[in-house]
Amino acid sequence: MSTENFTGVLDGYKVLDFTQYVAGPTVTLMMAEMGAEVIKVELAPGGDKTRVAPVLRDGRSGYFVHHNRGKLSLCIDAKHPAGLAILKALVAKVDVVVENFAPGVIARMGLDWETVHSVNPRAVMCSVSAFGQTGPLASQPGFDALGAAYAGITSMSGEPEGPPYVAHAAIGDVSTGAHALGAIACALLHRERTGRGQYLDLSLLDTYFHYHEASVQIYSLTNGAFKPIRSGLHSFYLAPVGVFMGHDSYMLIMCPMDHIFGYLCKAMGRPDLAGDSRFKDNETRVKNRAVLVEEIERWLASMPSDEAALGAMQECRVPCAPVLSVEEAINHPHLRQRGTVRKVHDRILGEFDLPGFALRFSEFPNALALEAPFLGEHNADVLGRYLAYAPEQVEELQRRGVLRSEPH
Amino acid sequence: MPANSLRHVLDGYKVLDFTRYVAGPTATLMMAEMGAEVIKVEPAPGGVPSRRFPIARNGRSGYFVQHNRGKQSLCIDARTPDGKTILCDLIPKVDVVVENFAPGVIGRLGLGYEVVSALNPRAIMCSVSSFGQKGPLSALTGYDWSGAAYGGVAHMIGEPDGPPLVPQVALGDVSTGVHAMGAIVCALLARERTGKGQYLDIALLDTYFHHHEADVQMASLSGGEFKPKRSGRHSFYVAPAGIFKAREGYIIVFAFEDHHWAALCDLVGRPELTRDSRLANSAARVKNLDEVIRVIEGWFASMPSDEAALAALRERRIPHAPVLTVDEAMRHPHLRERGTIRRVRDRLLGELELPGFALRFSDYPPLELEAPLLGEHNEAILTGYLGYAAARVRELERRGVLQSAAS
Repeated sequence: MSTENFTGVLDGYKVLDFTQYVAGPTVTLMMAEMGAEVIKVELAPGGDKTRVAPVLRDGRSGYFVHHNRGKLSLCIDAKHPAGLAILKALVAKVDVVVENFAPGVIARMGLDWETVHSVNPRAVMCSVSAFGQTGPLASQPGFDALGAAYAGITSMSGEPEGPPYVAHAAIGDVSTGAHALGAIACALLHRERTGRGQYLDLSLLDTYFHYHEASVQIYSLTNGAFKPIRSGLHSFYLAPVGVFMGHDSYMLIMCPMDHIFGYLCKAMGRPDLAGDSRFKDNETRVKNRAVLVEEIERWLASMPSDEAALGAMQECRVPCAPVLSVEEAINHPHLRQRGTVRKVHDRILGEFDLPGFALRFSEFPNALALEAPFLGEHNADVLGRYLAYAPEQVEELQRRGVLRSEPH
Repeated sequence: MPANSLRHVLDGYKVLDFTRYVAGPTATLMMAEMGAEVIKVEPAPGGVPSRRFPIARNGRSGYFVQHNRGKQSLCIDARTPDGKTILCDLIPKVDVVVENFAPGVIGRLGLGYEVVSALNPRAIMCSVSSFGQKGPLSALTGYDWSGAAYGGVAHMIGEPDGPPLVPQVALGDVSTGVHAMGAIVCALLARERTGKGQYLDIALLDTYFHHHEADVQMASLSGGEFKPKRSGRHSFYVAPAGIFKAREGYIIVFAFEDHHWAALCDLVGRPELTRDSRLANSAARVKNLDEVIRVIEGWFASMPSDEAALAALRERRIPHAPVLTVDEAMRHPHLRERGTIRRVRDRLLGELELPGFALRFSDYPPLELEAPLLGEHNEAILTGYLGYAAARVRELERRGVLQSAAS
């Protein structure tokens, strides 16, 4: 089969999507970006709760559009026997089922893994939750920041003596979605060889804990003598690595390796620092971090501007970066040129900017033009194509409230 | 093929891994966790730099072990003709090539995608970099936080009038590795149907920017009027959703949905607040956040302990969490029971704890994996993949084309 017939690497795969908010919808959005057909099941009457999240314009939410482009909307009363029957019939027709209800909810709906597996042994089912399907916290309600707190991530941002901070970006939700996507794709690859689907249990907590690239082993190997805790603007185990005050604003400088620290000394015109025994390796630099930070910030302050300092460092291949605001990032030529930020079109909202698709495939260089669905927009299409319902049957179900739709 | 003949979902797939530090090694570690055979190509003589990152004990780095369990080490000088021949000969034998050098370096090594695809049209090649293979920033060197800085994420952490903060964890590197793994496996799925490999260009910057779940559309749809900025310990668009000072430590409360807010008002003995028009909905509460904070922190201060406050929140099913330190998280019964934290064994370090494998498959329990010694698998790889005689491998080790801890 030639890729010329494909719209993306997942073209032809079908997903029944019971997710809402961010983590779950990120998985299915990524699949839609790669050409999968995603049926977003929205619970009647209102559908996904983010349909009313800001920014709202003409009844249309930018937030909802962001996370649901390229999906088909089926708005259905899953508690109604006719609604449940439709959903079960759809399970038999898809490759993947994804849900992110609180643990236990999908089972009470009558669509737990045993049911899905018996209806469709080839289906891969993925549950995404805050704390996982099992364990003492499993039944607790959750949001992104709660997973971060329980994983010890929140405790790692801020000054050691001050309060902890959270990132005002859904670091965990989006990354949990990316983890789930990877797991689903691996399970599909496995199914292509074995014919067998399986169940995946993904959680925000596991994802957040996965981010500890150093501190868990350090704590463990020092038998608890070293207790990782937030260390303010600078890394607790590498130096110089952190946020520095420049002439005008803040910037990141990262020189953990000896040769890269040498580049920095060269950029600063201070070869003496590279030979200074207090800074000879990472260990001594961490120990003498305060003096080192002072030296670097004195140099930054002496430069005519942050731009000049960054330029001098980049010339010497020093890893450094200005701390861009979101709007500066949105308008940065590199992010624009690369499509890290991109313009999308919505039928109601018009044109606006969203993060680009982070996976880039040489065979599919162009992003698909995807539109977010109106509530229940694809009721007739999905029931007709998948289950051979006649238009009158769909109308009848709409009249009885089993299916719903709205023009936004 | 019956599932039970496989060790895990990626059993049988082979990966040639040129990655270093965290982002790239995360992608290949995840593949090893799922049963793929990963050949880690390390530069002779010393191997990858992270072999010397703390904690080191008996010359063994816990950092290296964490990110390289389950991989085979081939320590080779790629700049020698023999070294390059070996690498070129391995490419037709693998399914995936992953690298995270600065853009252009793999091309100068003579192993760019044109070469890889000519040698093996079925191979998937994935480059992981800070800023991507093209564009004005692509030539800059960078680590995790560079992506956070250029992606507008560092800007979103801290007090509005204070410095930006960066979390002391590799959020971006790990997440970029996950994105890369997802892309690689999706490309393998496509290859099952098309027979063709392709090239993947994954960047830390793209990954960081992907994490903006709300503010990019808000800035854009407001025509630039709304400028997203870090807002301290509390969300800038829903309330209450933030970190509150409790009696002893800090507790996160997310009660911005009206039914959770009502349950909270009831819990703190202020049911009349649900009728207060200044606090009627999340948007109103964002406007009057100081009042919301006073109510919640006042109640925390009145409780006998944080434990009592947490229990009360738990009982009412109000979304909340204590801000655990890393060591508290490592001892937490939920993380233990679930395997979010796990004990692994290393031949030199002994037992140590590491984050668990975040992908859970119903058909396969986690595999037992060991991190390789430098060049440990030189002979196994060259004999197994390329049919070299053992004597020839020793000869290459003598000449420094290959290196191993034993040699």
